[in-house]
Amino acid sequence: MQDFVDSALARIHAATTADELESVRVEVLGRKGVIADLSKDMGKLAPAERAERGKFINTAKQALESAWEGRKSGFERVALAARLDAEWLDLTVPAPGRKPGSLHPITQIQWEIEDLFRSLGFAVLDGPEVETEHHNFDALNIPADHPARDMQDTFWLEGGHLLRTHTSPVQVRGMEKLGPPLRMIAPGRVFRNESVDASHEHTFYQLEGMMIDRNVSVGNLIYFMKTLLGAIFHREVTVRLRPGFFPFVEPGFELDIRCLICGGDGCPVCKQSGWVELLPCGLVNPKVLRASGIDPAEWNGFAFGLGLTRLVMMRYAIGDIRWLQSGDLRFLGQF
Amino acid sequence: MKFSYNWISEFIDGLEPSAESLERIITIKTAECEGVDSFGRGLAGAVSAEVESVEPIEGSKNVKATVLTNLYGRKTVVCGAPNCRTGLHAVYVPVAPKTVGGIVSDGMLASESDLGVSNDHAGIIELTDNERLPALDHVIEIDNKSITHRPDLWGHHGMAREVAAITAKLLREPANLSLLPEAGGPVKIEIEDTSLCLRYSALVFENVTVRRSPLWLRARLTSIGLNPINNIVDLTNYIMAELAQPMHAFDREKLHGDTIFARPAREGESIIALNDETYELSPSNVVIADASGPIAIAGVIGGRDSAISATTTTIVLESASFQASSVRKTSSALKLRTDASMRFEKAQDPHNTVRALARAIELLEELSPGIRLVGGLADSGREIPVPAPIQLDLDWLARKLGCTLESPRVRAILESLEFKVSDDFTVTIPSWRATKDVATPEDLVEEVGRMIGYDSIEPKAPEVACAPSYDPPEREFLRRVKRTIAAQGFTEVSNYSFISEEDARRFGLAVEDHVRVLNPIAAGQELMRTSLLPGIHRNIVENAKHFDSFRLFETGREIHKQKNAKPEEVTHLMAAIYSKDDGRAALLELKRTAECLVPGISVRPTEPRPWEHPARCAAIYLGDVEVGRLSELHPSLVESGRAAVIDLDLDRIPRSIDARYIPIRKFPSSAFDLSLIAGVRELAGVLENQVRDFAGEHTESVEYVREYQGPPLPAGKKSVTFRILAGAPDRTLTTADITAVRERILNGFLALGYESRE
Repeated sequence: MQDFVDSALARIHAATTADELESVRVEVLGRKGVIADLSKDMGKLAPAERAERGKFINTAKQALESAWEGRKSGFERVALAARLDAEWLDLTVPAPGRKPGSLHPITQIQWEIEDLFRSLGFAVLDGPEVETEHHNFDALNIPADHPARDMQDTFWLEGGHLLRTHTSPVQVRGMEKLGPPLRMIAPGRVFRNESVDASHEHTFYQLEGMMIDRNVSVGNLIYFMKTLLGAIFHREVTVRLRPGFFPFVEPGFELDIRCLICGGDGCPVCKQSGWVELLPCGLVNPKVLRASGIDPAEWNGFAFGLGLTRLVMMRYAIGDIRWLQSGDLRFLGQF
Repeated sequence: MKFSYNWISEFIDGLEPSAESLERIITIKTAECEGVDSFGRGLAGAVSAEVESVEPIEGSKNVKATVLTNLYGRKTVVCGAPNCRTGLHAVYVPVAPKTVGGIVSDGMLASESDLGVSNDHAGIIELTDNERLPALDHVIEIDNKSITHRPDLWGHHGMAREVAAITAKLLREPANLSLLPEAGGPVKIEIEDTSLCLRYSALVFENVTVRRSPLWLRARLTSIGLNPINNIVDLTNYIMAELAQPMHAFDREKLHGDTIFARPAREGESIIALNDETYELSPSNVVIADASGPIAIAGVIGGRDSAISATTTTIVLESASFQASSVRKTSSALKLRTDASMRFEKAQDPHNTVRALARAIELLEELSPGIRLVGGLADSGREIPVPAPIQLDLDWLARKLGCTLESPRVRAILESLEFKVSDDFTVTIPSWRATKDVATPEDLVEEVGRMIGYDSIEPKAPEVACAPSYDPPEREFLRRVKRTIAAQGFTEVSNYSFISEEDARRFGLAVEDHVRVLNPIAAGQELMRTSLLPGIHRNIVENAKHFDSFRLFETGREIHKQKNAKPEEVTHLMAAIYSKDDGRAALLELKRTAECLVPGISVRPTEPRPWEHPARCAAIYLGDVEVGRLSELHPSLVESGRAAVIDLDLDRIPRSIDARYIPIRKFPSSAFDLSLIAGVRELAGVLENQVRDFAGEHTESVEYVREYQGPPLPAGKKSVTFRILAGAPDRTLTTADITAVRERILNGFLALGYESRE
């Protein structure tokens, strides 16, 4: 009996395939196997002998099962290792399928600035591209024959309308619609009748901003501009205001930032001046408030105009403005 | 506008900052400077010199000249100028000695070109007795746009006033009004409308000698970009550049009658101007006229026939003031911008006319020795309005600027700019700032702010009520659309809003339906787009040169003409897939993209548009509203490959979708497939809707599975398979219920003459 067990154990250990091992298991440990047969005869034995036999069978069964299991998991390990090895993949091949497209760089920067101003409690407003003379000029204190109209070469449309030359008319529409207090920005497409070259476009993007409240000061304006520009350029910026003339603000400023390329020492980007002209701004002219039905004795505010197109060109180091309206995917695919 | 540093410094004793620092100071405090250039480089060290003797040099065109200078003593120079002769008053420049033809030439005699004051290098300069030499100068260029509101800054004296205020120096007044004669000129002035011609002042001079101006005057005009002409014309330009007051001189002998009229032009009048151009005039143009007709276009240009010439001996010197907008209208109508019109359109101070005349009296004595005034001052015009003083509240001023201010400081600033300030801060505006520039307390905020320096103001967050901001639903909607479509592999492009007539015709769009640009920038940009298609089509054609397949999209506005109203702007999305295969996948892919953008759309057959492939186009509906089109572009528009496009009217699509939870069914549903035999060009979508209609009660959903053509089906037929899901919210359906659904569908189709595949 012990010989049989030993030889079965030897066969288990000697099995070279999972099938071979399985046939030994069926023959020895199966329902009709040798161990099962031995158990079947137990009832015929005397009690003392039966106990001894039972003990023997249990011991043998445990030894055999343990050997079988060890062997079996060995085979499984080998099989798994083989499978894993066979499933080798070269993950350096290019991923198939379609790559996502991309948003226009103007859209990307516009959203970034919108989000910043939304976080500061500003509304993001939209306005028409075809404007009335009233909204584009008169309500902004630029009456007909004002020399300031020369600064903005205008596309005129049949029917007496025009293509907005700046996003400032949205100030007027915003004041008319929402009234004071008001915090708003208005990004959008604007048009100037200018010949196109590497740095001039007749179609470009601006972002107008305005805040109307009870006691808005030049100090508040500087604060917002520093905050805005710091967030745009992801670092602290030094700004300076100098006088600038725009009929819809009084006083009016040109805002310069300390050149980010040379830090103010002078370089070609800042034309050796250490400063880069960035945006016009000022305190809203009371005439503009009045034209939009707001009492300047009670309310005042600031306004600014940011050249989105210019900012995009600065951010991505785009040297030629014409790429932006080119529709060329070799360019647009980079953003 | 160009400013001569030397000229400015003539009005300020002890001006310390250099031209370069002045440029920075002016930029920060007053107006934007565009750069500084030196002028007359050769003038460094130049002195006048008398040519004592001239000896020929054998075998050379040059001569050996001995010259005497005060500063450098006697020098020998070799000179090649044809006009080098004994007794000449020339200009000597001490350059390093060099040997020319064996003779040591110690310095040179200079031409105007050598000095850098003009391009004239025909000969060396000939000075008259005691003529002073100009000095090396620097020219500061100011951006005209930054002084459109400052009529006073269109002259050197005005800029000098700013510089004096900034540097706390005294300003010298160049005009001596006491030189002006009593009123009552030899010419009469008749102004028809004093709202158009505010003031007209004139002096008459006789014994005039018209000749070349002295070097210093020519150099000065040249330095700021004006062309020297003769002493009289140069005088008027000099005073204009100094006092911002344009002037004009007429030849008295060439005027008809003794009266000068300032009046609107008569219908049909014309004038030949100083530039030899003929201008047809209309009553909207103000002219200066004599008895026979216009002699100048008021504020713009003089007439040729009464111009100063070499033979002129008597002149009428005009100094007038015109309504700014009238001059601007005339100048732009005639497309003639002059140095005079640029100044007048900024609204010049009418007080200035006689100041300019006083200055002229003084200068003419030097420029035309022996000149004599004839009679008194002719001066006519309306009373000059006195500007209302401004009450300045210093607390208000401090609040506006956001800083604290001492009242003596504010007073000193305003007074340095020649505002008068009373004890209670009633501020009187100087006349040269009162025409258009300063009128309100806000204007004084600027004066004080720029002078204290904006960099002295502390940035400060405002104290305002905290409230959520208004957010138009379009903003987030458009973002979602753009993000979604970009995630589907489309790249955003941006095209112009302008198209050409040819574009419109190419796509079969009626040219007359487009809003026309009255002043297009170029041919081919004369219409406002009524569709994004022309731009997208151009993108397709251009990018097809570089890529075999691509996807792109644009969102932008279509501009639609309205009768008697502002054009309507409609925001559209157009997306395109370009490929070189049979194009089927692209169309279905675009449809899928549209479903991602606008869940719930359906596609219906439609009449093809001219740009569409007639067998591959459809309308896109949301419910019963047509919201767009899906098509392949007509092969004639795309030379290689195919382009599928989708066009969605974003303004017709709901900004947000109200989602609402429908309870998940507790009882199992049963699905069965059903195949119908239909003609090959019957639309699956139509069949599907019919299946849904017939299925009726207990139908949860109907879904298209597949279609098949080929044996055993007869030619011209296809089998279309749908999967129907049947169920009920309150129980499990019986076999009989499900069979009933199936029978209803089959019977419905049998009644229409269809067969089932079973």
